[in-house]
Amino acid sequence: MRTVVATLAGAAMLAALAAAAVVYAGVYDVSASTPHTQFVYSLLETAQRQSVRMRARSIEPPQVAVSPLRGAACFKARCEQCHGGPGVAPEGIGLGMQPVPGPLIDASGTWRLREVYWVTRNGVKMTGMPAWRLRMSDADIWSVAEFVMGLSRMSAADYAARMQAAAGERCSTEATASASAQRAGDPRRGRAVIAQYACRACHLIPGVTGADVHVGPPLGGLARRTTIAGKLPNTIDRLEDWIRFPHRVDPASAMPDVGVSENDARDIAAYLMTLH
Amino acid sequence: MTPLPAALLAAGASRLATLALFCALASACDAGNRLVTANVAQARGETSVERGRLAIERYPCGACHVIPGVPAAAGRVGPSLERFGRRSYIAGVIPNDRQALERWLQDPPAMVPGTTMPDMAMPASVAADMASYLASLR
Repeated sequence: MRTVVATLAGAAMLAALAAAAVVYAGVYDVSASTPHTQFVYSLLETAQRQSVRMRARSIEPPQVAVSPLRGAACFKARCEQCHGGPGVAPEGIGLGMQPVPGPLIDASGTWRLREVYWVTRNGVKMTGMPAWRLRMSDADIWSVAEFVMGLSRMSAADYAARMQAAAGERCSTEATASASAQRAGDPRRGRAVIAQYACRACHLIPGVTGADVHVGPPLGGLARRTTIAGKLPNTIDRLEDWIRFPHRVDPASAMPDVGVSENDARDIAAYLMTLH
Repeated sequence: MTPLPAALLAAGASRLATLALFCALASACDAGNRLVTANVAQARGETSVERGRLAIERYPCGACHVIPGVPAAAGRVGPSLERFGRRSYIAGVIPNDRQALERWLQDPPAMVPGTTMPDMAMPASVAADMASYLASLR
């Protein structure tokens, strides 16, 4: 018995060492110029499918009015550049990506409506699929999910006609605000939302994982700072303004306006003010 | 006749050996002295980075900034300067390179109007040393 345990432990250690060697020696080709190996591709695809199925299980069908026109307009504005459509090729950004974004024409064969909604809303890590939850209304996400489920029945001519009919429609750019404008900031939601506005791409932020970046100053201890942006007194209202409209505070600032909604800025500011 | 030159030779050899020993000791002492001098120089802040750190201690930088290596610098007005050598921008506006940093330290409002950081009438040589220190924070 002891021999078996020792052998297993030894084998596990060898496997871990081998894995570490592969990572540190730079053996795996991370370039998007070559596809994944079939093993890695299948592993990622299975992990994705199972994860989406699990997480979308309890989603109820839409409680909102779904609009076929909005679905088409949103597909054109948000999906087509990477996924293409019947008779329409993806743009360079989609063609150059690995794994190649699927055509979605056969999505209804693999996914249920609620799963397409979930993927559109939440995105998929490391695939290039973004989360649209903060940049599309819930009604538009359901509408585009319905549109995707109908793609398998559209000819190239049908698709073109649908797009033409929807030419006057605009896809939403913001999530529908779920609460009143007067509510207090929610630090927990703020922490989650920070990941959706790329704050962590330039700033170290305690509680949010990411690379070791120093493009902007680290935000640890922000609550104890008396001044922000080099000139503003550090109050929660000023912080919200700075997050939303950095160029109103300082037109020369390298910090971009990332389109943070009022609702989200309030929560982000609330989180940053917990960093003592 | 022969013993004399032999004795002379022996004496000569021993004198040479003494000389060699003396030279070796002298050069060791010299090296030692140089080492001591270098340490003193460093302690007096005679490398730019160390001079910069000492200058930061003398100037009121720490009243507004947290600065690694300067224990008294714990201010919370401006951002922490930890790993400033890797920071992309000065004051969120100016790409962070040595020349810009030196100019910034000498007259911040001239470079970013409206900034809370004051002009501290800093000589160019001090700004250069401070910039060396800040650039070393990586």
